[in-house]
Amino acid sequence: MAMQEPAPTVYLVDDDPDLLKALARLLQSVEMKVATFASAQEFLEGYDRRSPGCLVLDLAMPGLNGLQLQQALEQEACPLPIVFLTGRGDIAATVQAMKHGATDFLTKPVDDTELLAAIDEALNTDRQRRRTSVERERTAQCLATLTERERQVLELIVAGKLNKQIATALGTVEKTIKFHRANLMRKMEVRVVADLVRRAERAGIGKAPAT
Amino acid sequence: MNWFEIVWVGMSAASLTLGLVHLLVWFKQRSKVAHLLFFALAASATAFGVFELAMMHSPSPAAYATTLRWAHVPLAMFVLSIVWFVHFHFDAGRLWLAWAATGVRLLALTLNFATGVNINFSEVFALDTLTLWSGVVVTGPIGIANPLAIVPQLGNLLLLAFVIDASITLWRRGGADARRRAVVVGGGVVICIVAVAGFAALITAGMVHAPTIVMPGVFVIVLAMGYELGWDLIAAAQMASRLRTSEMRFRAVVEAVPSAILLVDDRGAIALANAHAEGLFGHSRAELVTMHIDRLVPEHSRGAHAGFRALYAMDPTTRAMGGGRELFACRKDGSEFPVEVALSPLATDDGLFVLASVVDISDRRKLERATARQRDELAHLSRVAMLGELSGSLAHELNQPLTAILSNAQAAQRFLAQTPPRVDQLAEILSDIVKSDHRARSVIQRLRAMLRKEQAQHRSLDINEVVEESLRLMRSDLLNRDVTVSTDLADALPAVSGERNQLQQILLNFMMNGCDAMHARETDRRLLVRTHRNSQGHVEISVADRGTGIPEADLERIFEPFVTTKSQGLGLGLAICRSIVEAHGGRLWASNNADAGATLHIEIPAKPM
Repeated sequence: MAMQEPAPTVYLVDDDPDLLKALARLLQSVEMKVATFASAQEFLEGYDRRSPGCLVLDLAMPGLNGLQLQQALEQEACPLPIVFLTGRGDIAATVQAMKHGATDFLTKPVDDTELLAAIDEALNTDRQRRRTSVERERTAQCLATLTERERQVLELIVAGKLNKQIATALGTVEKTIKFHRANLMRKMEVRVVADLVRRAERAGIGKAPAT
Repeated sequence: MNWFEIVWVGMSAASLTLGLVHLLVWFKQRSKVAHLLFFALAASATAFGVFELAMMHSPSPAAYATTLRWAHVPLAMFVLSIVWFVHFHFDAGRLWLAWAATGVRLLALTLNFATGVNINFSEVFALDTLTLWSGVVVTGPIGIANPLAIVPQLGNLLLLAFVIDASITLWRRGGADARRRAVVVGGGVVICIVAVAGFAALITAGMVHAPTIVMPGVFVIVLAMGYELGWDLIAAAQMASRLRTSEMRFRAVVEAVPSAILLVDDRGAIALANAHAEGLFGHSRAELVTMHIDRLVPEHSRGAHAGFRALYAMDPTTRAMGGGRELFACRKDGSEFPVEVALSPLATDDGLFVLASVVDISDRRKLERATARQRDELAHLSRVAMLGELSGSLAHELNQPLTAILSNAQAAQRFLAQTPPRVDQLAEILSDIVKSDHRARSVIQRLRAMLRKEQAQHRSLDINEVVEESLRLMRSDLLNRDVTVSTDLADALPAVSGERNQLQQILLNFMMNGCDAMHARETDRRLLVRTHRNSQGHVEISVADRGTGIPEADLERIFEPFVTTKSQGLGLGLAICRSIVEAHGGRLWASNNADAGATLHIEIPAKPM
């Protein structure tokens, strides 16, 4: 089930126009799609929140600096992975950036392989994250179609109970459970139990705290 | 000789002696005409005394008449001497009266020879013998009075009128001295003339039988005038003595003064030099006196010196020489040394003298140079330390172009590695690399300039340019400290004379201080750098922060060495700033802002156009 994704964009934010131009050029030389911004504000106003990609961000900038932009994106719940570029090895800033989920923290002058590797990783992260979120959405849709009984059966399956045990627990016969189970599998769009369990677990079923 | 002859000869001799004394005085001081006139007065009195004595011993009436006729010559001269003595010595009396008395007396003298046997008698026909006290016998005339004898009497009246007029004028002029003269000379002359002329008139008219005795009156006048002139001589002697004392005092002061003193006349010749001058210039005092002052000025500035001397003569006031220029003097051996010269004018009858006090300031200059060198070295050290603090920021400034160069170069490599190789962007990439390289170079040049240790050289500077340059050096540091800088730079600011590095150092120091003061502030870290021309016409630069401000008690103290509010730092930064500003002839101070934070100010005099 391959999804048709648009090509990812690398957003470059740096107040130094010379550097911005050189970095953009480097990324273009490996056929990457690049968008450049001279300040954090410009980026916040101009980037497309739906399109996939990653952010290569200068730490020290007038106005909103790199860390502040990271926080602003966090508040917007924007999951765009960030690769920080900095002129100096500032440990405090590195720690803060990483805590808030930066993918990488590179020191200028940065070598092309290092930068491209970091961007690749960031794009991967982004792809992964997007894929996960698509799957989670689908699962939620499937779960919504289940009846109350089917949902109870699903929870007991995820808990690792056998059909007989489930029937006893729900005060019915094994055959009925088998019937529910088949419906369940169809509605959840899975063929084997292992897939069902993984999906249910990702959707948060069976992880409810014991009461 | 009997007593009578002794008295007459004595009076004549005394008159002559007094006259000769004053002739000598006049000879030494030709301007004092009164002394010459007194000599004429005394000499004519002497001659008259001799004639009168001869008259009284006349053998015949004819001899008496002839002697009397000739006696009128010294008498006329005597009267004229009185008139002009009073005129010159008192500087008073109506001039027409003086001329009238002179004219009438000369007319009388002419008539004396032209009519009768003399002006007194038409004819002397007999001699009368009179026996005076202690048996002395003298002769008197018996004859017919000359009707023209009224002329000399008129002359005497005019003489009286003139002398009285002059005496009154003198009396009114006031002052004890003038009144004494009026009484002694005026009174003496009046009394004597009235007495003698009246007596002579009575005898001539035959109303009194007595010899004509004029000489005592004449002698009294001589004594009165001699006393008057003698008084002047005494006063002159006293003044000379005071002058000598004063000159001795002046010399003692001149010798005691711890600087070289030269008195120079209006032609530039040295009239006086003290012992210090000998020591300072290496010329002996004998060489210095009469030497031209220009010989003490180095050869290259002699031409200018003549011009300055002429200028000084036009406006002679007590002031320092040179109007702020550095002055040099020249020793006998030709070596030069820096001096400070104070001038004061001395106006005398012999022209304008200038008293010059010269101090050798070689030692002071040496000390000043050593101080300046130390200040520059300290400023350099502090600059290096400050650049150390800024090194992260400067590394960043270098990193930016280096990063751009690397990325550009690697992009080019990748374009070339493609098949087929892409060359369309190569030219642009190379030109960008060159541009970035230039940028890196200019950072290094700025850094090198600030680190360079060279003697401070003052040049004409645009302060706004210095401010912008400093902001470029600080740019990255400011970003890193999350500080925004706004500027308010005045247009058309006059240039200042200064050392670029040192002024930049002050600005960097001020800005870093401002940043430190705002360290605890979470938001709104702002600096405002202003330049403007203040009301005194000086160029003022200020750096305002929004930090914690400065306690009022510390506003003055923060520029003192080792006073610091920071945990690290020696507290030398601002003290060095102060020494730099002072070397630029400016000042610096701190003030607290009305809303928040403090402002540091520098003021530097504008360069004269």
